[in-house]
Amino acid sequence: MDFVANKEAQIKEMLAVLGISSVEALFEAIPPTLRKSAPQQEDGLSEWEGMQLMEALAAKNTFSSFENYLGAGAYEHHIPALVGAVTSRSEFLTTYTPYQAESSQGLLQLIFEFQSVLTSLTGLDVANASLYDGASACGEAVSMALRCQPERNKVLLAASLHPYYTAVTKNYLKHLAIEVEILPFTPDGQLDLPHLKAALDENTAAVLIPYPNFFGGIEDLKEIFAQAHAKGALGIVCANPLLYGLYASAAEIGADIAVGEGQPLGLPLQFGGPYLGTIACRQEFVRQMPGRIVGETVDVEGKRGFVLTLQAREQHIRREKATSNICTNQALAALASLSTLLWYGPEGLRKLALTNYQRAHYLYEQLRHVPGIQSIGFAPFFNEFALRFDRPLKQVQETFRKQGIEPGIDLGRFYPEFNNCLLIAVTETKSKAQLDRYVEVSRTL
Amino acid sequence: MTKTIYEKSQKGQHAYSLPKEEKVFQAYQPDPTLLRRAPLNLPGVSELDLTRHFSEMASRTWGIDTHFYPLGSCTMKFNPRVNEWAAALPGFRRSHPLAPDEAVQGNLQVIFEFVQFLCEVSGMDGGTLVSNAGAQGEFIGLQMIRAYHAKRNDGERTKVLVPDDAHGTNPATARMAGYETVSIPTNKDGDLDLTALRGACNAKTAALMLTNPNTLGLFSAQILEIAKIVHASGGLLYYDGANLNPILNIARPGEMGFDVMHINLHKTFSTPHGGGGPGAGPVLCKAKLQEFLPVPRVVKEKQRYRVLWEDSASIGHMASFHGNFAIYLRAYLYAKLHGHAGLRRIAEGAVLNANYLKKRMEGIFTIPYPQACMHEFVVQADRYLSQGVRALDIAKRLLDYGVHAPTIYFPLIIKEGMLIEPTESESKATLDRFIEILHAIVNEIETDPELVKSAPHSLPVRRLDETRAAKKPILKI
Repeated sequence: MDFVANKEAQIKEMLAVLGISSVEALFEAIPPTLRKSAPQQEDGLSEWEGMQLMEALAAKNTFSSFENYLGAGAYEHHIPALVGAVTSRSEFLTTYTPYQAESSQGLLQLIFEFQSVLTSLTGLDVANASLYDGASACGEAVSMALRCQPERNKVLLAASLHPYYTAVTKNYLKHLAIEVEILPFTPDGQLDLPHLKAALDENTAAVLIPYPNFFGGIEDLKEIFAQAHAKGALGIVCANPLLYGLYASAAEIGADIAVGEGQPLGLPLQFGGPYLGTIACRQEFVRQMPGRIVGETVDVEGKRGFVLTLQAREQHIRREKATSNICTNQALAALASLSTLLWYGPEGLRKLALTNYQRAHYLYEQLRHVPGIQSIGFAPFFNEFALRFDRPLKQVQETFRKQGIEPGIDLGRFYPEFNNCLLIAVTETKSKAQLDRYVEVSRTL
Repeated sequence: MTKTIYEKSQKGQHAYSLPKEEKVFQAYQPDPTLLRRAPLNLPGVSELDLTRHFSEMASRTWGIDTHFYPLGSCTMKFNPRVNEWAAALPGFRRSHPLAPDEAVQGNLQVIFEFVQFLCEVSGMDGGTLVSNAGAQGEFIGLQMIRAYHAKRNDGERTKVLVPDDAHGTNPATARMAGYETVSIPTNKDGDLDLTALRGACNAKTAALMLTNPNTLGLFSAQILEIAKIVHASGGLLYYDGANLNPILNIARPGEMGFDVMHINLHKTFSTPHGGGGPGAGPVLCKAKLQEFLPVPRVVKEKQRYRVLWEDSASIGHMASFHGNFAIYLRAYLYAKLHGHAGLRRIAEGAVLNANYLKKRMEGIFTIPYPQACMHEFVVQADRYLSQGVRALDIAKRLLDYGVHAPTIYFPLIIKEGMLIEPTESESKATLDRFIEILHAIVNEIETDPELVKSAPHSLPVRRLDETRAAKKPILKI
């Protein structure tokens, strides 16, 4: 099948207007040696056949029938039904970057509201319309910090940052003669402060710290960013935005730039994407911000309206002098997050974060008393924690899987020193009965 | 005046519900010293009011589903709803990116087969789907090019050549990848200036980034010569696949001499533009660059699929996980529905629609390049400058007639330019109506130019003050 509108009758009329007998004539600029002949056979599917194919493929993903305790940057949360109603609306789904502001006032206002909501969460002054994902947001934030302080060429990344985020961030920097130093963590999972102190110098442009860290741990970042500021470096926090419902905001901990992965707020797991990169910063850095920004203005009659603004930062205007190459972003994912945040509201978001905290801690406290399971001593944590098992993890995972539970992520895969450790994420989606069953299965190991 | 959601807030109202609280959970309370002190300034709104808010905003937003949207360079074609249906299947939607391979064989099959399919369409040997957008694809491609030169100890190549009509992402990406850019002029026929290209190609040339058909909608008849010149200097060719739609199964970038490329799935493969994204920009390459492709990759071993998370030759990770899976999942279905035969009909339909529109615009606008175009074409509104009317004014007046404006003032080298791309999914009747509207606007320019200069008149707002927005930025409520 296809979605080509014009059929034989119209094609004939159009060719007549063009004074040619066949569409072929329009392709004459293509050297004949490059031109392929038309496929002889129809090899497409009907819509029904296509649906059958997709259902069969989806059915091969047995994962969806497991109780899921995987996290590590992607979390199963309840997604309000409102979100689907918003993101499936034709007007939002099928519009593009609002170049013609007058015909995109709704989208522009919603992006403006998204920016507002993000500044509320982070406590910072400005936010943009979105970046690709948490990993690229880290890359962009560090690049931005370097532009803010062009005379400096070193950045510090916490070793407890998501390893893929670290890898992507390094890829953003590797061609720019930038020194990247990785800051180790102490046995309790917290950033090694003496090491930070030694690494910070007059050449350090920024320190990037996860919040919570890859192990779910929450640190007091105030001290870390205060030390960074003392050396003139910028503080960048990479947060799970759900955390801000309960824990200190980016501004309260002293961050200058806050990036994050918005997936926990309204985006399905969907095998890793689309997710949502977020970025917010202090006012003074706004002209170094990457990506689209929406601003408020007025029309010729003084009526309030919204437009894309500060475009002199962007690739379509500044070309090689742009702050980033980003053009297409994750706008619809931003609408999903916006609608989720509005659905929860201030009190709901706090309760949601607390619910996550409590359920994770409930499971943690039960499990660490099970013989053969040990805490690795990383505390405090939010909704994810690591435990060490006294036997090969493969065996542990198999036991759980037989009971329909995907028990967590093999932490040793990312940090070899944590072999036989599971990283376990617990969200509001897990009931007490489910958590108790997890504990029961762990006792049968 | 339309209110923002903050202005609709009513104390204590909310929409949320949370799972039942259990007494045993209450015992766990976070360390108060780590908690938020500043109040969380989010509005409180009931679910009905929220729903109405989004409905109101939707009514003030135009999409392909509501209006003809001939935005050049963006390929605003129909977004089939069956794609949305597929992406919502729980088997896809609920799968975690780090799930064990054996539990996500369906996802891995989609990735493996779609890379293969895109290789067939592009004439390339290998590829990756992790790229979240076209610009990210360019960034990946240039990193692969750098890795290729480095492996051959050819590390002195510091320059990337970019035509002066290129998408802004090309030079911006080159800079991000640590290259200096060299701008290559376009000749009077709308093709690359070969003399300038020859002069620019040397031992410092890492690559030429080229869109073909280019941003003027013209296929470069010199493409084989261009490839020869760049390759002779030791440089590689990067294909910006933003304009792939008109050559689907007609000609393949791999055979034109390109070494690495991206495809914008949100353009050619119909995934929704979503107000600016998410998109997807798969990268395809020739065998000699394959080892540098990013991770993760999907490999097939004895009818089972496996994720390769690390590889020493690879440029490494470029996304949090597997990229925008649910986007390329939609594109995969779109490709399956069409097959190669259907893809070719897309190309033919897009090119016919564009040429038909262009022909019918003779007499309305200056047509700077008279030869046959591909899926899009530029016109110039310069003849109306004497009445004080600019391309921008015509664009705004089109809105009054219910047509989304074409891309204006791009490519930058065209004075008073409008870049028009109708796509294959528009019917002849829609195109004819567009021409009628343009005639009506021309008539207005002649009789009442002020009407056009002060457009739009019938939208929720009149023309907006962009200068004010940039001078005194108000970026939040």
